[in-house]
Parts: sequence; structure tokens; C-alpha cells
Amino acid sequence: MRNTDNNSWRKLAALLFGLVVVLLAAPAHAVWYSKDGTIEVRGFLDSATFARDRVGMTKQRFQAQLEFSKDFRPTGFFSEFSLVGTLRASYDAVYDLNDDEFGSKAGGPRSFPAPGNPALFSALTMGMPPFPNPSTNPSYGGAFGPSPPFDGAIPLPGTGWAPPPSPSNIALGSNNPNDGLRFALEDVYGYEDGGVVLATPVRPCDVDSRGCIKGYLDRDTDELRFREFNDDWDWLRELYVDMAIPTFKGRHQLGFRIGRQQVVWGRTDLFRVLDVVNPIDFSRQNLYAEFEDSRIPQGMVNAEYRFGATNLFEDINIQFLWKFEEFRPHDFGQGGEPYSILGAGNLFRALNNCYSNGCTVWNFPGTGVAVDFPSGVIGIRQANVPSTRDEIGARLEGVFKGVGFSLNMLYYYSQFPSLRGGIPATNPFVPPGTPGAFRPEGYPYLIAFDIEFPQLLMIGGSADWYWDKALSSFRVETSYTMDEEFADTLSPRLFSESDVFRWVFGFDRPTFIPFLNKNRAFLISGQIFGQHILDHRTSKFNTSIEDPSIMLPSIANQELGFQDHEYNILLTLLIQGNYLNDRLTPQILTAYDTQARAGVIGPSIEFKPNNNWLFRLGFNIKWTDGSPPTADDNRTANIFPPATCGPATGSPICPLPTGGPAWSSLGLAGLEPLGRFKAGPIGMARNEDEFQLTIRYQF
Amino acid sequence: MKRLSILTAAALIAAQGTATAAVPEDVIQNSFFPYANDVPTHPNFTPGMRVTADNVDQLEDVLDPFTYRYIKQGWYEFDTTETFPLPLHPNYVQATRDYGDVVTLDDNGVIQNFRAGRPFPQEPDINDPTAGTKLMWNFQRSINAGDSETIHPFWWTFRNANTGKTERQIRFEWHFLNWKHRTIFPPENIEPNPGEIFRSIYGTVLEPFDLANTQLLIQRYEDDLKRDDGWLYLGFQRRVRRLASGQITDAFLGTDAMIEDFEGYNGRISDYNWKYVGSKNILMPYMKHNEQPILDDEPAGDKDGFRFVKFGGQGNCFPLVTWQLRKVHMIEGTPKDPNHPLSQRLIYQDAETSTLGIVVLYDKKGDPWKYFPICKTTTADHLPGNKGMGVALDDCAVFFDEQAMHCTTLQFKALINAEENPPNIFNVQQMRKKGR
Repeated sequence: MRNTDNNSWRKLAALLFGLVVVLLAAPAHAVWYSKDGTIEVRGFLDSATFARDRVGMTKQRFQAQLEFSKDFRPTGFFSEFSLVGTLRASYDAVYDLNDDEFGSKAGGPRSFPAPGNPALFSALTMGMPPFPNPSTNPSYGGAFGPSPPFDGAIPLPGTGWAPPPSPSNIALGSNNPNDGLRFALEDVYGYEDGGVVLATPVRPCDVDSRGCIKGYLDRDTDELRFREFNDDWDWLRELYVDMAIPTFKGRHQLGFRIGRQQVVWGRTDLFRVLDVVNPIDFSRQNLYAEFEDSRIPQGMVNAEYRFGATNLFEDINIQFLWKFEEFRPHDFGQGGEPYSILGAGNLFRALNNCYSNGCTVWNFPGTGVAVDFPSGVIGIRQANVPSTRDEIGARLEGVFKGVGFSLNMLYYYSQFPSLRGGIPATNPFVPPGTPGAFRPEGYPYLIAFDIEFPQLLMIGGSADWYWDKALSSFRVETSYTMDEEFADTLSPRLFSESDVFRWVFGFDRPTFIPFLNKNRAFLISGQIFGQHILDHRTSKFNTSIEDPSIMLPSIANQELGFQDHEYNILLTLLIQGNYLNDRLTPQILTAYDTQARAGVIGPSIEFKPNNNWLFRLGFNIKWTDGSPPTADDNRTANIFPPATCGPATGSPICPLPTGGPAWSSLGLAGLEPLGRFKAGPIGMARNEDEFQLTIRYQF
Repeated sequence: MKRLSILTAAALIAAQGTATAAVPEDVIQNSFFPYANDVPTHPNFTPGMRVTADNVDQLEDVLDPFTYRYIKQGWYEFDTTETFPLPLHPNYVQATRDYGDVVTLDDNGVIQNFRAGRPFPQEPDINDPTAGTKLMWNFQRSINAGDSETIHPFWWTFRNANTGKTERQIRFEWHFLNWKHRTIFPPENIEPNPGEIFRSIYGTVLEPFDLANTQLLIQRYEDDLKRDDGWLYLGFQRRVRRLASGQITDAFLGTDAMIEDFEGYNGRISDYNWKYVGSKNILMPYMKHNEQPILDDEPAGDKDGFRFVKFGGQGNCFPLVTWQLRKVHMIEGTPKDPNHPLSQRLIYQDAETSTLGIVVLYDKKGDPWKYFPICKTTTADHLPGNKGMGVALDDCAVFFDEQAMHCTTLQFKALINAEENPPNIFNVQQMRKKGR
């Protein structure tokens, strides 16, 4: 464990021990019912302690959940009328107990082993000779000049830096200090691929507001500690009324569920092919939390007309959904949080800081160079989270000749963010105030984005059936989504739309393994998931929006264009056993991403000594085959000709000596930023092996 | 509550126009009213006596071997009563009278020409190789749960049989519905029923928290050669999962029971080879609930003040109810599936009601494994709403695993009724609707 205060662990251990002793000594409580049986209250208290190699504690969450329902007597049109609610509150002590990793002391100064780039310096200073002894390990936001005393990276002219003989020591400004930083991917790899490197602020937004994206990823310390107590009232996890109106003499039923709720579509585990109605809080535990806990409930009108059995179907019903609560995207976890799927939170925060405050970028424009960008050039400007209430869906579900089936349609906003280029930007290779340097429409191929959440239409279906010869039940789920957006380095705005086809095929087979348990079958459940990006495009030649005749070959045969996999297959396997009358449940859950060549195995064991207590011990171990994948990182785009004539690394390969028109990337590649999509959620968490202990008291 | 009168039933049946031949009255009387004129006796048995380890040897003839062993070992003792009838609903008897003479078995052992009532009311013939199968059809088409039954609450308690310690307790709500061949509640056949479902069972777990909202739905089809369909709704997933048939013969939610064990036998008739091995008089836990000298104070707080059967004996695994001497048919069931966890299911079927009063299970090696007595009460001596329902009502049961020395005891609050079991709750969408 690194930088973790032993006293904190002792305090935590004492707190946990005390809690367990108090609860063990308390009388056992069961579900509470009112005298007339119409009110029901149940819930739990739990402690989740997760720790990660080299990081220490990643979660120490104390959580309470209360579920209640009240059934009212049938009245008027209604044959059923009930009120149901779930309240949840938690305190995650990791931000206090391990605050040098995830709290107010997280991160620190960062420097870059960049020996300098005389040619680039000369290019920027109109041929002036470089300093005789430039800093070889420049600091983030440092002052550029002869070393010592200067320790900065090469500032682009747009920072306001003045060339010798009177260099300014101001690069990024006093509001962007070299502290509280981490390399956005330093937990994942050692940058051995020479890819672009960004530094991200990692402290809570009340401690360090840099990179906090307003209205999207901007939690302060208390909002991180007390997750549910936010502007969205997440402590009110679910609250809805259920109503049923019998029709056709009670043979049919019109049902409404109105309020904040979870709506679960589909039949598969772990993958969300159809189960896309509610967004997910990935900051809870990346991919690995139960969806029931990580779904973000939303206010909806959920209307169902249940025909029941008809002359054709054993069961048939139709459902309509309307979300009346404002759109919410997935929560990816912000930069500096313990759980940030794909490392996206770190990337977004680093990029937002770049756009807002400027930043030092390493290995830009080529390997071994660090430069300071001024604000307003690269990065993320803002997140445009739609304030909309127009997401609607419909589902036809039924059973026909023993086969369960559904047809689904959802018109909604992408819960995944899309980074769209083409926002206002300034040419950083000219001094501030240079006429024409600022373009409201932005520069083609520039990595300057707004985060958007495009509207999508998803249609799909699912089915399940039992096949006696295989002694197994099977399930299949598919979806076709129109106009999803993907990073595309051939596009001037660096994104393109594509339709996407996803599918899952799975089976469950209870199987006796006599030498392990002769009396109880093991559940073996396997799934194969496929994703096909239908409008995927790549090329070995680049493009130019200004001169379509330009088709420059990419460097090192690198594919340009879409950087996500056109096809991908993931496999999952669950083996679950039960002993002591299902009070002791060992299981192994494993998943493998075939394109990322990354896998995860999660052995766990759960023990329930009685109705009130539950203990769960688990590990989450990842492996990858080789180095993280690389992807075209757009460094070699010629955005600001003639200053950028890629790659301008000091010995630039510039096919057109005059700089030519702007053109797209030539394919210099690294993991950051787009390789993360190839590495996937498993590969990006390759260094996040965890030990997990949960103790729960339920009633 | 609507009930079919005898006349209504007769009219319905007549309207169907099925060719019938009335069953001789002596067959009906023997089948449904075996205790009308006399009751079983045994020279060593006196009604009212307490059966204990001290006197069990003299009663070995009137005990199944499992009960005998347990009493002999001092694990269990019980009081007895006079034999009294548990009369079945007159509509069911009448339907048998009208249609029981034309029912046959095909080459697969599946009944043909069945309309309603007891399919084979005739006394079983030891020389008839299909007698065991016929008796099991009598059970499957019995009114074990009426046409429509609710059990709520239904307490399943996990106990360590060595120590008596309660490990877990599950509170269920169960619903049973016969879609076809109904005689108590109209209509005779519920329509529409495109899947030709014969019977549905739907159960929900109410507590403990980690299992709450788990729901089970089983559809048994009229075609006995068609595999049951089953679905499980898992609360923590909020998703319905299709059950594989293997899960029917696996421990259900960690209890000592398989889904196949429900009600004594909850599989297809065609899943086993059934052999009738004779009839005799043995002691069975058939009683009058309201006259039990001991009832449990726990689980407490029932809104109707209902008190459940109490358990005691070894590990608190045995029901503290009165037993009586009754005529039973003994049936040996051998699973056809070589991978089935049992080698044999031995059934003691109550002759009067065709219900399964005692079921014992042997493991694959042929060793004694599980003991499953099911207490039955008269409906007249239970909840007021059960009066006149004419069902041998489930009141308590135990799944006792003598190899693991573990048991799951079952305490029922059963109500025969139609209102709480409308057809539209027996479908997959109901599970999603009710799921939370």
C-alpha cells in the first residue's frame, strides 16, 4: 500500500469491529409489517472495503438502504394501488482515509522526461538557436528557459511567451500550478509507446476546480463522500406508485408505474444490449457492481397493457415509456475517483483543464517533446447535457409456444458522451491577438471538443427458450442503434456517426459436479457478446477538407479513421456453487475481451450465517496479453499550417514544404487518448486488481 | 365466492357432450368414502395412543420405514386420533362418477379421454403393470390444492437437525391454479389457453432481504410429454431467467427440497416409471388443524390470528401434530433420467384423497436420503374460508435430509379460493410487474 496512513486503517478496523459487535448483540430483526399487513419495510446496512495493489484502499463505503411499500385497498377503477420507495445513503470514507490517493491531498507535481527538441524550438523562434542547456525534465506549467533556473516545457507562442533574450517565465498561469496532478493514464502503463501524455487534476472539485466540467463531472468532496446527496436527490433512489385497472371483465389489465424507477429490458447478464433505459453509475464499481445497485433510476411513466393469454399467445403485453425526469448520462466517475471506467474521467478532466487553463502536453508533437498549450486551443470546452424530457420507448413482450420474446424500441439520448470537434479555437502558433488566429467555427482536425449526447433510436428484440437435449436454457438479445457517434480521425470534427448492431447469446446449465458437491448442481452460465460498428471506416491514407486531392500515406501503416474495433467479441462465464443450504456460495465470474485481449476473473465467496448477516469476500483480477493497444492520436494532423506539418518533431516529415492545406492525422499512435476504447473497460483497468470485503446486516 | 354446484357441474359436463359411462356406485363409494362404514384397525394400535420409542416396535406394521426408524431412534413421537374422513368436494366426486369409467392410458402412459374428477377410481390391481401410473394420475388430477389455492404466508425454515438451530427462514407467498378440469370453481376450463397449460404454480419470496422478490413460475402442460416451463425472477437482477429443467431436480433456493418435490411430486408423470407395490393401513399425519393440542406461537403477528403447526423432536424437524391410521397405496417411482439425483421415490398415497401423505427418497446409491411427510387437515377445521371446499388441505411438511442431518420445515396458511388466483397472475409479465 502506498501513502496510506496506518492510523486510518486502525481507526477503520476499530469502527468496523464496533459496528459488528453492536449489531451482533442486537436482537435479530426481520422485515417489518404493519398490523394489517399493508405496509412493509425492509433494508440493510453494509460496509464495503475494497483495496487495490499499490494504491491501497479504494472504497470504504458505509451504506444504508431502506425499502418500503404501502398497499392501498382497491378503489374506484383500480384493482391495485401501491406506493413503493427505496432510500439509499452512503458515506465513502476513502476520501478521508486514503486522501493522498483520492482526496484533498491526491496527486502532486508532474514532470516530463523530455530532452528538448532543438528543431521545434528553432521553428517556433524563427530560426533562433536553442538554449545551450534546456531543461531535460521539464515540469508541468514550468517556465521555459535555460536550465537552471528554468524548468519548463517549450511554450507555444500563443501562451504569450517571449523568445530570448528575455524569456517570460509564465507558461500556464498561476491558476494552473504543478500540483494535485497525475498523468491521465499513469495507473495503466508506462507510456512506453511514446504516445501523447496529458496531466489531469485529481483532487475533488472544491479543492481543485481545474478540469471540473460543470453539470457533468464536477463533484466536490462531500458529493464524493456522500454520493447520494446531490442535486439529483439520488438518496431518493426509487419512489413510484403502481396502479392496475382491470379491463374486459378483468381478463386484461392496464397498469401504470409512475415515478422514479428502474426499467429493465432484455434477458442477458452483464451486457446492456437492450437494458439501456436507465443510465449506469460506473463510478460505483466500474463494470462490476450489480446493475440493480448501479442503475440510475429516473422518473418515468411506465404504462403496460397486459392482454394475458390470448388465442395465439400464452402471454402478450405492450409497454410504453416516457421519461419525465431530465436526461442523465452514465456516470463515468470524474478524474481522480477510484472507479473511472475507461479512464475517461481523467481524460475529460485533463482536456477540460487544457481548454480552460492551458496545459503541458508530453510527446507532442512528437516523442520526447513537451510543449505548453495556451487555453482555448485543445481540450474540452463544456458538456452539453440535454435538458430534455423527450425520451420514449415501447416494448412488446410475450410468450409464444413456450418461447419468451420481446420487441423493443427506445428513442433516447446517448448515455455515452460523444466528443465533437469544431468548437471555437485559437491558433497557438502565433502570438496572442494575431488577427484571424481565433476562429469561432474552430479548426478542422483540432482536438477541441464539446461533449454531446446525441439522440439515438434503438430497436431490438430478445428471446429465451429451453432446449431439453442440452438440458439448458438459452437466451438471445439483439439491438440495432442508429447514429451512434465514434471518434474518427479522418473526419474534420473528429467524429462520425455509425449504426451499431449488438447481440448476445447465452445459456444457463445446471450441472452436477459430484466430486465438488453431490447434492447441489453448479450453475454454469456462459455468454458471447458481439458488437459490429456498421459504418466503421479506416484508411491508410489521410484526408483534407481543404484539398480533397490530398491523400497522404499514414505512418507505419497505421489505420486512420475509426479507432474503435469494427467487430468485437466478449465472452463471459459464470460458475456458481452452493453449500450449506445455499448459505455458502462460491462463484467464479470471468470475462474476456477478444480484441483487447484482456480478461478479468472474479472469484468470490459469500456466507450467510442467518437471515440477518451476509459476508462477501472477493477478488477482481485482470490480465492482458501484451502492451495496451495504440490508436491514432491525431498528433500528426496538420491543423495550423505551416507551423504544423506533421509530424513536426524536429525533423519533420512534411510532404508539402509549404505546409500545404490542413489535413488529417498521418497516424502517429499511442494509447492516449483513443487507445482506451480499444483496450476496453477491462484492459484499461489492467492494474486495478482488487480485494473486496462486504459485510451486510439486513432486515 | 363462486362455487360450482353439483347441478352446475353436471350441466357443464353434459353440455360438453363427451361420451361417458357412469362409474359404478360401489367403485365411487370405495374410492371416495372408504371410512363410511368402518375404519382401519390394527391389533397393536389404539387411537389416542402416543407413539414413542417405547412402543414403536409393536407398531412397525403401521409405519413407513423412515418414520419407524426415527421414532425408534427417539427422534420423534406423536399422538394419534381416530381415523376420520377428509371428504373431497362433491363436484369432484360427481365428475368422477360421470367420467371415470372411460379414462385410459396410451402406450406412453398418458391419460386419454379424461374430462374431470379422479381418472382411475377403481381399486388398483397389483397385477396391472400400469397401476402405479394410474395412481399417480389420480394424484396429478386430484384437488390437492383445490382448483385454486393461495398459501400466504408460507414459512420455510432451515434447521440444523443435530442442534435444532434455525439457520434461515424464508417467507413465501404461493399461488396454484388449475387451468383445466376444474370442478370447484367455474369455469371448467379457463380460456383462452393457447399453450394448453394444465396447471400453474407461482411463488414469491417476501423475506429475507437477500432473497426477497425472487419469484418462481412453473407451467405444466396438458400434454404430459411436453416439458414443464419454468421462470425465475431474481430480485437482485430484476430480471426473469428461464429455468432449465435441471433446476427442477436441484435444491430450491437452498432448501432441502427440489422443485420436483413440491406437493410430494411435482414433475411429469412420464418422467418416472411407477410401480404399484400394494395397499395397506399406515399412520399418516392427517388431522384437524383447529383441534391440534399444540400450535406454534411463531411466526407471530398473523393478521387473522392464525397459528401455525409447531415442530419439535430431533432438531425441531418433526411436526407436532396428531396422526391417524389410514388406507394408503404404495408406489415406487424410478426416474427415467439416468442423471436424476434419485434412485427411487417411494410414495404412500392416501387412498381416500389421492394425496401424497408420506414420500421418501433414496439417493443414487440407493441409500435412504430424504423424508417428506405432508400434514393434511380437513378444510372444515381450518380457516373459515376453507369450510366446504372439500380438499385435504396442506398444513405442514418437512423435508428431512438424514444424510446431511438438516431439514426444512414448512408451515402453511392455505386458503382455497379463486379471487386471489386470477389467471393473469400466472404469466411471466406478472413477475416483471411485481418485481422490485
